[in-house]
Amino acid sequence: MNSNIPLIETEQLTKSYGAKSAVEAVSFQVHSGEIFGFLGPNGAGKTTTIKMIVGLLKPTTGAARVGGYDVQAQPIQAKSITGYVPDEPNLYAKLTGRELLRFVGNLYRMDRKQVDRRSEELLRLFDLLQAADDTIDSYSHGMQQKTSLAAALMHDPKVLVLDEPTVGLDPRSSRLIKDILKQMAERGSAVFLSTHILEIAERMCDRIGIINQGRLIAVGSMDDLRRMSQGVTSLEDIFLNLTGGAEYSEIAEVLS
Amino acid sequence: MRQTAEEAVRVSVSHSVWTLVRLRWMIFLIGFRRASRVRKLVVIFIFLISLGGIGVIILISRYLLTFLKNPLLAEGVGNLDAVLNSIPNVLITGAFIGILVTSFGVLLQALYLAGDMDFLLSRPVPIRAVFITKLLQAVLPSFILICAIALPIMFGLGLAQGYSLLFYPLVLLELVVLSLAAAGFSSLLVMAVVRVIPARRVAEIIGFTGATLSFLCSQSGQLARLDNLSPGDLSQVLVIFQRFDSPLSPLYWAGLGLVGVGNGDWLNGIGLVAITVFAAGGIFGVSLVTAEKLYYSGWASMQVRVQKAKQVRREKSGISVPRIALIERLISPAAWAVTIKDWTVIRRDIRNMSQLITPLIFGIIYAVMFLRGGRQVPVGRGEAPAWFMDLMGGFVVYANIGLSLFVGWMLLGRLAGMAFSQEGKNYWLLKTSPIKPVELVTAKYLVSFLPVLALGWGFLVAIMLIQRESLGLLLYSMVVVAFSICGNAGINLAFGIAGARLDWEDPRQMQRGSMSCLGALVSMVYLVSSLILFFAAPFLAEILGLPEAFGQTIGLLVGCPFCLACAVIPLWLVRQRVEFLGEAKV
Repeated sequence: MNSNIPLIETEQLTKSYGAKSAVEAVSFQVHSGEIFGFLGPNGAGKTTTIKMIVGLLKPTTGAARVGGYDVQAQPIQAKSITGYVPDEPNLYAKLTGRELLRFVGNLYRMDRKQVDRRSEELLRLFDLLQAADDTIDSYSHGMQQKTSLAAALMHDPKVLVLDEPTVGLDPRSSRLIKDILKQMAERGSAVFLSTHILEIAERMCDRIGIINQGRLIAVGSMDDLRRMSQGVTSLEDIFLNLTGGAEYSEIAEVLS
Repeated sequence: MRQTAEEAVRVSVSHSVWTLVRLRWMIFLIGFRRASRVRKLVVIFIFLISLGGIGVIILISRYLLTFLKNPLLAEGVGNLDAVLNSIPNVLITGAFIGILVTSFGVLLQALYLAGDMDFLLSRPVPIRAVFITKLLQAVLPSFILICAIALPIMFGLGLAQGYSLLFYPLVLLELVVLSLAAAGFSSLLVMAVVRVIPARRVAEIIGFTGATLSFLCSQSGQLARLDNLSPGDLSQVLVIFQRFDSPLSPLYWAGLGLVGVGNGDWLNGIGLVAITVFAAGGIFGVSLVTAEKLYYSGWASMQVRVQKAKQVRREKSGISVPRIALIERLISPAAWAVTIKDWTVIRRDIRNMSQLITPLIFGIIYAVMFLRGGRQVPVGRGEAPAWFMDLMGGFVVYANIGLSLFVGWMLLGRLAGMAFSQEGKNYWLLKTSPIKPVELVTAKYLVSFLPVLALGWGFLVAIMLIQRESLGLLLYSMVVVAFSICGNAGINLAFGIAGARLDWEDPRQMQRGSMSCLGALVSMVYLVSSLILFFAAPFLAEILGLPEAFGQTIGLLVGCPFCLACAVIPLWLVRQRVEFLGEAKV
């Protein structure tokens, strides 16, 4: 894999359902060692974009490339270096946590010893060792979310894509995830995460992309975004300025 | 404008019940109004047909029960007056037990597993009102169904026996109060059970037990020898009715009371009816009072309790896949991992077990019938010529194969037909992993083919050992079964891919109905065709007096390629669909 090429790249990525465009001509790049935050209001097209990047959804036009591999043309190569954590941790309820991690390891064609070692490491890291032999249907939402993240990390991916990874997690687990993401970036992986928690995006992300009504309306570092918003300093204000949140003051008036 | 806390407290239970019941009614009405015209017409048609059906049952009951009083019949089976007087008791007992049993599962869903409980219990609605509404909601469908059967028979009995007019409203009253009592009693059982076993587990067990028992009951009639019924047997069956007449049972008092009212024995009749109405009301009242404590605490504890974890015995290999050298050479470790994962998930989910056990029960029942017949061709009326009977006798040898393939066909409908659908919302995990579509199809194929082959062969070997067939015939049969299952698995899997649904909440919605039916139909046609191809040559060889082995070899040469083609071609036709499976709608 060429080290100069971006690990995630979308080129005029578009997804339409009939006449309606869920995502329209979205282009950006995420490089090795970078944490990229993807923000947008509900229904803006974040999850659709993510699903096209990980190969869950076929773009109507445009392309998504992971590690230089076209996700549609070379899906096996692209998927083998990607780890994905969905917004809803739908996991096989009748498998145990340990079985799920081993299954995922086998899917990624990992060596048996490596699978055993790695699954034990991740179970310990996410504090799941005690529940490792319980079926997943007995896990709380937070435990399922952690299992989902552990599954995404099993094969030590070069690209990690996370859709709202901290939803339902306690502060300790949330902190753990943030630390893991930072470490992965330091080790040269590319991390792409969507979140509604602007504090996470502001503190953790090297660059931020804001999507609204299917269009990428801003991309850049915090400084770049501040410059674009002409002096507005907080990400919340920048976000509301760009996506149109001024009308919320009227709602507050009605409620009062 | 804003409701105060004091005002909220004053809201009565009846008002809350009315509000909640009205909500259900509104949901039904809105659903009906928004339904397509065809759907509306179907609903109206079903309603009218049901009304007509009730009328027909009343008439049939009337004439049938009048017939039981016929002196000629009495000569054969004895006096049936006592039997007629037992009918109200039998029906009331049946209705009570029916509602008790059926409402257990419905109440479990309504009280503990319904998605609206968080919403309802976080509002200022009395818990008793929530409980009553749930109870009514749960009992209503069973009550309507039971009334649709029991009421017309009771009314038919009233007409046949010339009962007084008061009999009819009292029948309805008894059914209503006893249904409420049964539901109340059932709710207490649910609350007690859920305190010990997690609600979801109970639901799974009920699903499994219900499906298995209903299939067993439906098929057990096959073992009965109904063709040899004598008048003595009939009178014995009718006498069973009187066994319900237990003087200690309040349900018997209810039946006796109704008969008393019908015959104009007012004092006894009304007295017994009143006792049972009060007893039923008492049970319902107790269940309401108990519910306030048991239900809320049980539901609340369910929210905070980490479900009693089901520890799975830690196996050394776990799902890290048993290594089978031959298989590893043929398929990728990823595909084999998916196969092992599927078997583990299917085995552990008890809801699947009922679907898998059904073919086994079916196979055992029909094998028993087949063996009981001593491999003889049914003589019928003896009109068939001798040469035809000889020919059929030779053909019966292959009935074992047909039987084991039929059992396999039923199992394949579940295993192959739903191989992709059973992934449900977990499919993202496979779709985002580096596994090729062909590997996935191979894995899913093996998930169904291997167990069905093992079952088919096991079944075949068992029957043929009992029948002491030759080794040659056994080997031939095993090859036929293997190839036939091979093709059938391909067809079922292809239809499973074409009709796959991954967004289901209820496992019964796993596959699109039309594809499921079409798949069953096509695979049945395939099964018959493959058997014709395998057996035509041995059959002809028998007619022409050629060696049996020659005919069987020709049969294999014709049948095996056909089966292989049927395994591959349908899957090749749907290969591109696999890539698009799980394309989530946004």
